[in-house]
Amino acid sequence: MPVLALDTSAAVAVALVGEDGARLASRTSDERRRHAESLAPLIAEVLAEAGVDRADLTAVVAGTGPAPFTGLRVGLVTARTLALALGIPVLGVPSLDALAVQAVSDLGLQPGDEVLATSDARRREVYWARYRVVAHEGAGGVPVVETVAGPDVARAGFVAQAQLGEGTSEAAGTAAVHVVGEGAMLYPDFLPVAEDAPLVPDATVLARIALVRRAQGLDQPSEPLYLRRPDVQEPVGRVVPATGASA
Amino acid sequence: MADPLVLGIETSCDETGIALVRGNELLVDAVASSMDEHARYGGIIPEVASRAHLEAMVPTIQRALGEADVDLSEVDAIAVTAGPGLVGPLTIGASAAKALSIGLNRPLYGVNHVIGHAAVDQLVEGPFPERTMALVVSGGHSSLLLVEDVATRVTELGSTLDDAAGEAFDKVGRLLGLPYPGGPHVDRLAREGDPHAIRFPRGLTARKDQEKHAYDFSFSGLKTAVARWVEARTDVGQEIPLADVAASFAEAVADVLTAKTIAACHRHDVDTLVVGGGFSANSQLREMAAKRCAEAGINLRIPPIRYCTDNGAMIAALGSAVVRAGVAPSALDIPVDSSMPLTTVTV
Ligand SMILES: Nc1ncnc2c1ncn2[C@@H]1O[C@H](COP(=O)(O)OP(=O)(O)OP(=O)(O)O)[C@@H](O)[C@H]1O
Ligand SMILES: [Mg+2]
Repeated sequence: MPVLALDTSAAVAVALVGEDGARLASRTSDERRRHAESLAPLIAEVLAEAGVDRADLTAVVAGTGPAPFTGLRVGLVTARTLALALGIPVLGVPSLDALAVQAVSDLGLQPGDEVLATSDARRREVYWARYRVVAHEGAGGVPVVETVAGPDVARAGFVAQAQLGEGTSEAAGTAAVHVVGEGAMLYPDFLPVAEDAPLVPDATVLARIALVRRAQGLDQPSEPLYLRRPDVQEPVGRVVPATGASA
Repeated sequence: MADPLVLGIETSCDETGIALVRGNELLVDAVASSMDEHARYGGIIPEVASRAHLEAMVPTIQRALGEADVDLSEVDAIAVTAGPGLVGPLTIGASAAKALSIGLNRPLYGVNHVIGHAAVDQLVEGPFPERTMALVVSGGHSSLLLVEDVATRVTELGSTLDDAAGEAFDKVGRLLGLPYPGGPHVDRLAREGDPHAIRFPRGLTARKDQEKHAYDFSFSGLKTAVARWVEARTDVGQEIPLADVAASFAEAVADVLTAKTIAACHRHDVDTLVVGGGFSANSQLREMAAKRCAEAGINLRIPPIRYCTDNGAMIAALGSAVVRAGVAPSALDIPVDSSMPLTTVTV
């Protein structure tokens, strides 16, 4: 009995994943400003490709960010409404968790190693969270990480200083902090990205994390991680076409 | 066979509206509003509205289903506002509608919000005659539409070139120191004043405008005239007769709206007028439209106020008309269009 996972924190990623964590089908789109157009067709495609009846889904997994607001909401409202239509639960997983977990496998990280996962927050800032590797392979073969700082949003230089600079674990003599995610790619001077590092969350990984957490009976809320207040300086008249404060 | 059951979703501005319509019968109309969160800013904040839509979507759908005692599996089609409106809010509704379409395996129809403001009247007074004039007046629009078939043939005869009627009222409300949104307050104040106390200009009624802008409106000049009049009085230390200013301003708006609309009815040989949109709550417009339509032998249809503001019923009503007309469903990749043309009924 598969789950459908989707993430709209960066581009659009959709995957259909079996109870055992096996990927049945997946799709991505690199479209950054048209999440609402891309997402639904990709969901229909993965269901069709895997020959899965939508009524057989047991949960909808959604990346909860942090991410630019408009795209993030497309994923969350889609997940919640689809789950309502199918009478199944929504499982929320922070999108940066998926990056960190994938980094453990991709970079061959070991317990005690650390990951700084980043994404593009626009406005010359990055969303970030720092993780410590707990196990290279945990339940169901999925790496286990724990959050040690963040998630938060800040300038890359500030993040580098606070998370990679002196006084952090590196200076304390433990393992290095591996920087991953496309947020860091934008600011290589401050945040050098590890070679072979994952850049955007993978929906299959997102699903695997949710399956493990579900088996552990953990609460997985689908509340968006905005991390910023709405911009309120400029109320629009009324129906002035505006993209609004989409981060 | 019974008419299809259509679920309508509206999120073009600050209202999350969900309704169920079968044929021209409204089963339920549930609305959640973020208006209170905007009032302190004196205008709609798109991001605040979008956040509220996300949180309200599933609870509002559930409330509508519960009140109508309908199961989602009974829904035959999903209609959603595809535009015009604010992009962020529109995107929430469109995404939810697509998810329902996939989850229920039912067709999706992206429809026009402004035409929905006219279509909702079919739930109140039944099907439109073959040719109907629709005056849609709201916070964002003031448009005159010739409706030959609400599902397939709508022609835009004219629109405001600047402010919408409701917007003009809100601005004059601010000018007169009334709370936001000013429209209803100006209306109330105007009822106590003399509508003929001050002669404010009627936009685009001069002979030179008759050719190109016979059915267009302009209210920004009027708003400026009111501002100047108030300023001039204030400068010389005279008291402002607030009620008379409000009444004379409201009279000017109602006069232009009704005069042009009735002229269009004559010109296009239409004997039924539907007025829709939040501004149709305005009592000066209602009164003048009733009087002038009676004189002109035009059948005037204005739905009750709760159907005039943004709601799911208007979208479900238009969706129902569209489905029954056999229009092809929308694709799952339809975009939202903040400035959707008023001649586009479905996308
Ligand atoms: N009684 C009234 N007199 C004058 N104006 C009014 C009255 N009641 C409401 N309004 C005005 O109507 C507008 C609200 O209408 P509505 O909710 O239909 O607008 P909207 O949905 O924001 O715009 P649109 O439908 O174009 O997207 C506001 O400008 C409000 O001040
Ligand atoms: Mg409206």
